[in-house]
Amino acid sequence: MSRIILTAAIRGSHAIVNRVAKKVEEAIEKFGPDQKVELPNTGYYLPIIWGILGIPVTKLGDMPRVVEYCKNLLPPIPDEKNWLPYLGPGLDAGMATLLSYDMEEALKYLEDPLPYLPLAEDCDDEHLWLGAADDRIMRKRGVEFVDGTAPGFAAIVGAAPDNETAVKIAKELQEKNLYVFMASDHNGVNMAEQLKEEGVQLGWTTRLVPFGKDTSAAIHAMGFATRVAMAFGGVKPGDYVKILRYNKNRVFAFVMALGHVTDEWYAAAAGCINWGFPTIADSNIPQILPTGVCTYEHVVSNVPHDQIVSKAIEVRGLKIQVAKVPVPVSYGPAFEGERIGKDAMHVELAGPKAMGVEFCTSAPLDEVQDGKIELVGPDFKDMEEGSRHSLGILVTVAGRKMQEDFEPILERQIHHFLNWAEGVLHIGQRDIIWLRISKKAMEKGFSAIHFGKILHARFHSEFNNIVDKIQVNIYTEEDKVKLLLDKARTVWKERDERLAGLTDDAVDTFYSCTLCQSFAPNHVCIITPERPGLCGAYNWLDGKAAYEINPTGPNQPVKKGEVVDEKLGKWKGVDEFVYPTSHNTIQSFSAYSIMNDPMTSCGCFECITVVLPMANGVMIVDRDSTCMTPCGMTFSTLAGTVGGGLQTPGFIGMSKFYIGSKKFISADGGFKRIVWMPKALKEQLKDMLVKRSEEIGIPDFYDKIATEEDATTEEEVIEFMNKVGHPALEMEPMM
Amino acid sequence: MAFTPPLEKYAGKIREVVIGKGDKVVKLGGHNAMPGCIFDGDFPNLPKIALEVFDSAPEDWAPEAIKPYEDVVNDPVAWAKKAVDVYNAELVCLHLKSTDPNGENVGADEAAQLAKKVSDSISVPLIVLGSGNAEKDGEVAAKVCEVCAGQNLLVGLAVEDNYKKIGAAAIGYGHCVAAQSPIDVNLAKQLNILLDNLGVPLDKIVMEPSTGALGYGIEYTYSVMERIELAALSQNDDKMQLPIMNIMAVETWKTREAKLDVDAEPTFGDLSKRGILWEAMTAVDLILSGTSLLIMRHPEAVRLTKEIIEELYLGK
Amino acid sequence: MGLTGIQIYKLLPKTNCKECGEPTCLAFAMKLAAGKAELAKCPYVSDEAKEQLSEASAPPIRGITLGTGENAFKIGEEVVLYRHEKTFVNQPGYGILITDTMDDTEVEAKIKRLNEMFFERVGLTLTADFAALKNESGDPSKFESLTQKVMGLTQKALVLISENVDALSAAGKVAKDRRPLLYAATKENADQVGALAKELGVPVAAKANGLDELIELSEKLTSIGLKDIVLDPGNRKLKDLYADLHFHRRAALKDKFKPLGFPFITFPNEMTDDPMKEALYAAIFVAKYAGLIVLSDLDAHRMLPLTVQRLNIYTDPQRPMIMEQGIYEINKPDKSSPVLLTTNFALTYFIVSAEIEASRVPSWLLVMDTEGLSVLTAWSAGKFVADAIAPFVKKSGIEEKVDHRNIIIPGYVAQISGELEEELGGDWKVVLGTREASDIPAFLRTYASKG
Repeated sequence: MSRIILTAAIRGSHAIVNRVAKKVEEAIEKFGPDQKVELPNTGYYLPIIWGILGIPVTKLGDMPRVVEYCKNLLPPIPDEKNWLPYLGPGLDAGMATLLSYDMEEALKYLEDPLPYLPLAEDCDDEHLWLGAADDRIMRKRGVEFVDGTAPGFAAIVGAAPDNETAVKIAKELQEKNLYVFMASDHNGVNMAEQLKEEGVQLGWTTRLVPFGKDTSAAIHAMGFATRVAMAFGGVKPGDYVKILRYNKNRVFAFVMALGHVTDEWYAAAAGCINWGFPTIADSNIPQILPTGVCTYEHVVSNVPHDQIVSKAIEVRGLKIQVAKVPVPVSYGPAFEGERIGKDAMHVELAGPKAMGVEFCTSAPLDEVQDGKIELVGPDFKDMEEGSRHSLGILVTVAGRKMQEDFEPILERQIHHFLNWAEGVLHIGQRDIIWLRISKKAMEKGFSAIHFGKILHARFHSEFNNIVDKIQVNIYTEEDKVKLLLDKARTVWKERDERLAGLTDDAVDTFYSCTLCQSFAPNHVCIITPERPGLCGAYNWLDGKAAYEINPTGPNQPVKKGEVVDEKLGKWKGVDEFVYPTSHNTIQSFSAYSIMNDPMTSCGCFECITVVLPMANGVMIVDRDSTCMTPCGMTFSTLAGTVGGGLQTPGFIGMSKFYIGSKKFISADGGFKRIVWMPKALKEQLKDMLVKRSEEIGIPDFYDKIATEEDATTEEEVIEFMNKVGHPALEMEPMM
Repeated sequence: MAFTPPLEKYAGKIREVVIGKGDKVVKLGGHNAMPGCIFDGDFPNLPKIALEVFDSAPEDWAPEAIKPYEDVVNDPVAWAKKAVDVYNAELVCLHLKSTDPNGENVGADEAAQLAKKVSDSISVPLIVLGSGNAEKDGEVAAKVCEVCAGQNLLVGLAVEDNYKKIGAAAIGYGHCVAAQSPIDVNLAKQLNILLDNLGVPLDKIVMEPSTGALGYGIEYTYSVMERIELAALSQNDDKMQLPIMNIMAVETWKTREAKLDVDAEPTFGDLSKRGILWEAMTAVDLILSGTSLLIMRHPEAVRLTKEIIEELYLGK
Repeated sequence: MGLTGIQIYKLLPKTNCKECGEPTCLAFAMKLAAGKAELAKCPYVSDEAKEQLSEASAPPIRGITLGTGENAFKIGEEVVLYRHEKTFVNQPGYGILITDTMDDTEVEAKIKRLNEMFFERVGLTLTADFAALKNESGDPSKFESLTQKVMGLTQKALVLISENVDALSAAGKVAKDRRPLLYAATKENADQVGALAKELGVPVAAKANGLDELIELSEKLTSIGLKDIVLDPGNRKLKDLYADLHFHRRAALKDKFKPLGFPFITFPNEMTDDPMKEALYAAIFVAKYAGLIVLSDLDAHRMLPLTVQRLNIYTDPQRPMIMEQGIYEINKPDKSSPVLLTTNFALTYFIVSAEIEASRVPSWLLVMDTEGLSVLTAWSAGKFVADAIAPFVKKSGIEEKVDHRNIIIPGYVAQISGELEEELGGDWKVVLGTREASDIPAFLRTYASKG
């Protein structure tokens, strides 16, 4: 399909390059080759030519060289039967177009009177067109591009079908903090003119900037972007690869083509693709969907006006920021601990005596409408004071980088997000939620819709990297809640099974955690699907999500790489990561052994496993235990011994979950080595331990694990083992 | 057989950061050995000392600290000049304390104009810091960058919550960034990476690791700094090879040891010397752990510290 | 690299006989590995194992004890170059210089300062450690009588300074039961001073011109059977001494170079006439590798920062300084004064109490034992949560000290406020304080003015 576009673009570019070539010739004839040409108050000459080619054009005589360059860049116009891929030549044609426009606009400044209001930030009544921004404006506004206050710009060519639509589009773009650069016309009208007619204030201050009515004036948008790359990216003039890459990665700009797309527009749009700026059109033109140069699609067309802004944002990969949570009550961590007693309560939702469900799922981008919040059933104000109602919250997210694995992680956040609102008490997750809304919150006008507002704002601000769109459905109608609950339970079951089915062997990447290096400088946690972080707080999926959310944070992907020792759990990639990350102290790391290069500990472990040499097994003691253990050391003594990021053979700090893992010290004999643990811990983990006992084919193994009631010294442990016939007695010596 | 001194040669080197422009320039960092270990490597630039100036007359200062500036506390420009002309400050650090939104809430424009005035009236490079309110500091620093375009000031404090604002303005208007992280090696590195990703050249960043005074957490700062320097030098960690600065006077002079007079604490001894020594000893600890830039207050503490630096590095 | 606990365990008898005082051989092995037990405590260890173990467990820098009884202190036994690698172990001693040319009043005044100067901090008492007596007169009898006099005035440890063997001998004999340090054996007198130290059974210092000569001296003293040696490379210039101290620590730790494996004595008092500068030198030597530091005098304004410096640098980075649990009065509170709560991490306490003090609002500060964890860490470790705080508050006795029932908790643990209020019960109200300590003064002033 793109063949048609690119053919048109190439055709357009030929026309433009030839036109400009002629204009240059004429100008040289009229003013002579030494006539100075410049854009007002800039150190970047003609910015596209300076940035891309590194040629400083200061006088007319410098231009023919550039014209020549453009001509060489022009590909031949493809004939109708030619089906070769066109993107490459199309991009060249586009580049030639933009270089030519750069000259064409510069020539305008030789005209008298000037077509533009020079060196002004804002339009006045007489002058609508501002032309090129000078360096002062470029710097001031460029700062906003870099710091994110303005993520980018929409370069709009043409005009909306009517003034009202023009105003709507402009407003919507302003709300997203984008700059709107306007040029060219559709049927003799430019969008800026439409806005002016409607009394909209135009200029850099309102971020609605009319450049000029010619299509060539759109070049000021590109000139701006190119200068930003040089000024803020430190890119040297002429280093076009870096200039283009800077723009693609950092300047969230796109072209919005409103109206019939001419060859000339095609040519310019093709040029913009070089910068990574896609084109979104309202007319029905062919699309260029495959990604390549731009982050996502290149040309998306036939977009209705009411969706054009959100589509543009999606295609360009722009992230939405919601600065403030828009609720009538105070919002912040300070209210997380707030209790709402019966007397202060307006209404109770879910809880033990009503149905409740909180569910987060993901959907394709075009199925989610960002910011949409729907309530089915009565709102809080319509509920009788002191009454109890069922509640269902469905959060549907979509994102280019969203993965199904992240759903449970997002779902867990609902609790915190809602609880931060003053006057909202929230307990639990999934189908065990329990909420109360206070009378005070009701007085301030709190509504069920605000749940949606909170979740929309917070998911955007906390999970920007993985979530692009958030939609929230809230149900207070019993049968609707039931429907959601049934659906959610099916998914939860699948999720739990999937999590249980994740194995170390099935993945090629583990995740690191160096959160604790602040006090254990050389400690590195390696989190695998079957061995969560030793604090118990981070499993492999959390690590994965944390990395997506914060790529420079403490959780980094660790490629397993070549297997060094399958049994011990040693991989080349892991060792290569651990050595520098432990500041050159840990040479090698075994995931599955307590005796051989065991993992280090920071100090946050949920429990400690210790070898009992004479019992030929291991004992496990958890943080809550205060008694003396058979190894002769209490938990706190042990903690002092194994913590601090040191490799201590015979000792590992670990999570409770790891005890039930198939990989639990599997290199040293695994689960069967467990000979002792505190009674409280044993009972707490009973289900898991019994299940593992069955898996290893010793269904009564659970009863063979001694507790402090059976043994308090190593000798007594051995005695107990003999009594119950503990399998470790028969195993090969641990050391 | 003669003893061969065990020397340490490191793979890495701290970047050299240049602050200021034209004939008022100060260079930081550039060394490739641990503090004071001139036998191991080169120290092209010794630790520098900046003197503090506040944008409004300080309240609650120890009398000993106010004395040297008594005549200028109401005039930041005169204060800065005195710091340079009388007390030989190598740099001046302007604290825009009154921009604090919970205090006087002076606007960014006004603050930036003052920064420019101070910068224009002194012959040494200027450091400009805000009130410590991250959001407002971002706004103020950005404005300072704009108003003082091209002067290559050291502007801050960039923290995780405002680094984009300050970083962007610093890039756009040609300044260096003072980046503060909460007393943790990895967080320090992370902020450097974030600034780097934003486009701030790494040789335009100075790290502030969060500074505790003697008796008030100096041991944390000390060890974090040693770890940063070691990561930079021995592990050749590119993202750590930035000079360190310490905003220390504010911390030292608010301690009770530097403020309580001998009547209140009879066992503490002479107040005036005690305060000076508290500052100077904190400074010495920071020198030993790897600072390249100290923000100090009392001229006598500065004199002592400077002499220590010269003796340690130059054998004076 | 030392042996791991398991490697040591393998060399032990594996009988769990408990005669070493530990319940198991493994526990004993772990203590040995950490350098917290002595092998000699195991009665059944084989000679072969003994040899392997003592080789591995001998400290690279010898520990030396000066003084006796409760005034004894140990220096040396350091194992790292940077404190974050593990910790610095034995704090260097501070000493005051007293010469035999000073008159009695001056001597007495100085000893009085040595005896009486102390500072309380985090439940510790910070003091200076020894008197350095110098034979300035060159007259052995004067030196002897000074030593005698000082012995009568203080129980603190002594360093006897003279290069005159007769003087050292005379004073040494007087002080030998105090376990003094004889300073110094030099190239010229090493044989005699070495013999004297051996005869008296006391530690001896070697003073040389530079490290090469110092190493020779150290080897010489070792060869005559002396073990407790302290070293002085003789440099009195900061730059050179700084280098010597580094080379000493590196050679001892990294190369196990025995001749430099002894603590160093430094003399800031001989390096400058400026007392402030002298204090700064001392601070440097605390951080960089000295075992003994001799000062010209002990003025409170210098000793306060110096003792805090020593405490800070020698704090175990993995074991935070802690405060005693209890009620702390700030700015003379009364029955209506606000009650604030924080954890017993010393740094938290210092910062919070300093800010409260700065607010000038009379307040009660409840410091709860969280095993030295800061507020957020303690909260996430489950030690600073409602069901732990409530019993502490009630048992603290604060209910008798105030007539209101409002408690201000750190802003960072807002989430416990509701539960805490329930746990406390009665009329207790939980007030949310600030997240940052620096905001406390403003908070307290507004809070107090609201009544």
